Amino acid sequence: MAPRPSPALTFDLAAKCPTTKARAATMHLPHGSVQLPMFMPVATQASLKGLTPKQLEETGCKLCLNNTYHLGLKPGQKTLDAVGGAHKLQSWPYNILTDSGGFQMVSLLKLAQVTEEGVRFLSPHDGSPMLLTPEHSISLQNSIGSDIMMQLDDVIATTSPDLARIKEAMYRSIRWLDRCIAAHQKPESQNLFCIIQGGLDLELRKECCKEMVARDTPGIAIGGLSGGEAKTEFCKVVDTCTSLFPTHKPRYVMGVGYPEDILVCVALGADMFDCVWPTRTARFGNAITDTGEHNLRHAKFADDFGPVDENCKCMICRLPSEGGLGITRAYIYHTAAKETVGAHLLSIHNVHYLLDMMRQVREAIIEGKYPGFLKAYYWRRYAGDKEKYPSWAVEALRGVGVDLMIDD
Amino acid sequence: MGIEGENHSQVSDDMFSILKSPSAGIGPRLGRLSIPGRHTIETPHYLGITSRGAIPHISQDTFARDAHIQGVYVPLEDFIERAPERVPPLYLYKAPDGASPLRRYIALPDQSLLVLGARRCPPVAAPAANSNTDQTVSVSTNVGFKLLHAQDYREAVEKLDADILVALGDIQYGRTLGSKRITKAVDRNIDWLQDHIAARNAQPSKSTRAKLFASLLPVSCDNQKYWVEYLADDAVKHISGLALYDSCTLADMPQQLRHLPVLGFTLPETPHEVLRQVGLGMDVTTIPFITYATDAGIALDFTFPSPESNDSNEVSPRALGVDMWPEVHATDLSPFKEGCQCYACTNHHRAFIQHLLAAKEMLGWVLIQIHNHHTMDLFFAAIRESIRNETFDRDVKEFARVYESQLPAKTGKGPRVRGYQFKSEGPGEPKKNTAPFQVRDKSSGEGNPLMNDANAQQLENQGFAEKTG
Ligand SMILES: [Zn+2]
Ligand SMILES: [Zn+2]
Repeated sequence: MAPRPSPALTFDLAAKCPTTKARAATMHLPHGSVQLPMFMPVATQASLKGLTPKQLEETGCKLCLNNTYHLGLKPGQKTLDAVGGAHKLQSWPYNILTDSGGFQMVSLLKLAQVTEEGVRFLSPHDGSPMLLTPEHSISLQNSIGSDIMMQLDDVIATTSPDLARIKEAMYRSIRWLDRCIAAHQKPESQNLFCIIQGGLDLELRKECCKEMVARDTPGIAIGGLSGGEAKTEFCKVVDTCTSLFPTHKPRYVMGVGYPEDILVCVALGADMFDCVWPTRTARFGNAITDTGEHNLRHAKFADDFGPVDENCKCMICRLPSEGGLGITRAYIYHTAAKETVGAHLLSIHNVHYLLDMMRQVREAIIEGKYPGFLKAYYWRRYAGDKEKYPSWAVEALRGVGVDLMIDD
Repeated sequence: MGIEGENHSQVSDDMFSILKSPSAGIGPRLGRLSIPGRHTIETPHYLGITSRGAIPHISQDTFARDAHIQGVYVPLEDFIERAPERVPPLYLYKAPDGASPLRRYIALPDQSLLVLGARRCPPVAAPAANSNTDQTVSVSTNVGFKLLHAQDYREAVEKLDADILVALGDIQYGRTLGSKRITKAVDRNIDWLQDHIAARNAQPSKSTRAKLFASLLPVSCDNQKYWVEYLADDAVKHISGLALYDSCTLADMPQQLRHLPVLGFTLPETPHEVLRQVGLGMDVTTIPFITYATDAGIALDFTFPSPESNDSNEVSPRALGVDMWPEVHATDLSPFKEGCQCYACTNHHRAFIQHLLAAKEMLGWVLIQIHNHHTMDLFFAAIRESIRNETFDRDVKEFARVYESQLPAKTGKGPRVRGYQFKSEGPGEPKKNTAPFQVRDKSSGEGNPLMNDANAQQLENQGFAEKTG
């Protein structure tokens, strides 16, 4: 079935991996085109941890996240309306994706409770009972003006043993999707994505896919994967869902950001990822590299005058002769946790790392070499020690025709 | 040119030229500081003050691209916490292209003037009353106070290839000096400078070599007569400038030293004080209140000698800065200052900055810091113009009439305190220079992003959610 064209999103498939389910595409959005698969950094409160929009742009980012929950509190809807939305607020000329606010409400507020009308909570300030509905969420996201908005969904942890509750949440999320679609005021300039729920129960997930795909939103997200579940189960959910999605729509796995998880999800047919991890881990002095995370606050880096990452071409790692800053690990050690610029520098590197990894992934898919890319990446990550490869990744990739244990 | 030859008269000729000096007595002057490969710095001017190698909040790429700070001051004490037990990493570092190790280590652009000294600006005063000895100076590192040997200092700084070196001085911060203490300090300063010059002269000439500035004591020249005489009679051939720690030293500076550029570590607390010191002949100064204002969320807002607009609605006297915390800015799409060409003002607006401060997002301080330094760039450009036009005295009076005497009081919370420098002060030790802000709310730290400061009605008004009971 050919999807209805969306006024605010065009999806051009560029290539499909002949072996895995990976795809390369270009997604055209109101604030410019983006290349899929992609990683989206999270600028929670309309700023990415001390980086100027110019610095963010320089990492190659053309689509970042804002959190509706945070922007709804500060600066608030009235201000957003007065300012003219989040792009104008933060002077970001590229695309913005917002979540619904529901997930953060449930995870950050102890007393939040989900009912059919919406998320109920007590105002911590004066204890008054309050309600956040799908209509509130959409109205807020309309004020934010994000290029991609997410439906309010009924999120519960996949690790919940209560299957009845998971089932209720899945069906409620479908009903809330209908309310979100009805409430959406600006479909010509903003895209509303649905969020597949259903916990780790593949039948529930399939049912949810069937219902939501029928609603024909411009893009589709897989939600409710909290990170607490077994990775094997997680992969099965992603694999099952992408098989039921139409080819010509972007697929977003929410909250996934570790390189190895992203690489497997891409092989399973997912296109979009987001995570606060690159910037959060930078604050603790961690540099993301091909060989894993290195904590540059460790004393062994005090005299290490190599770049943060030898293979990296970000502004931080490039030498002055290559137009970069030539920052050493020793200098990060010197500033980490003592001056905020230390964290800013590492954030630039970490965000660049993930964006650049996605560029390489896309290139490999287009060249038909993604299986080889996966093998090389895991080889570097574990220094050739296949014993250390995570079994969930090996298993998931075998399911799509790539055996990490066998060299080409 | 080398400095080792006795035949050379004055080493500073090629670096500093005085373009305009007062016709008689003490007064403001115009000069030019030029070091090959660096920005030519027209004086009076200021240096950005670094902490651990960076201007606070401004990462090196933003410094290079979006700030226009012409030169920086770097304190060695930021880099030597593990000395002498372990060699500081900076001393081991070799720049890949043979450039100055310090410059490359902190990723300072090639064009920026690099000035290296011993202590931070402002320094944390040592807890003990007599913390310096005949061979050592007490320095503050992030593992507490340490003793820095004069010999270690001169050997280290000579290798780091800064543009200007501030020679070690026996400077007692935050204390009034008695005459005995001054005598002792003069003896030490003479010893240390003699040794430093001798060490330089013993070395083969280097093609590029840091210009050496001697440190005067924070008292009048008359009160440190022997030191000043030594400088004027003996050392003047080997030094290129003077570092000052109190502006009173400028008032009776002898003629024999007046050709030298004067670098101030005098901790001015207001633009008025900067002007007063320029009026005494200060050439290059360091201004801690720029970062104080930034941390307080205050965007500096003054023009020398007075704002261009003649808005009759303006309250008089005008504030020297705008506190960006209040909610009045929440929907204000204007820049900090109309017409300001800084990165922050040309790309962002007050509404965003107010939001960033309220949300405790680090970018807020980054943007204010860029603007505040730009404001000082313009301030000094206007000062030079005023001296050139010979309207300086009148303009200073006009500035004093138009603007408040102090910077606005701090109302908001500052950024999370990260620098060890605030903690290593001894118990009960008063700061020499308290920040020019009265702190109303001392609590700091990153705020809970949750709705702890909004009541239900506000949330409903904001459209965030609705009240149900
Ligand atoms: Zn890098
Ligand atoms: Zn400005």
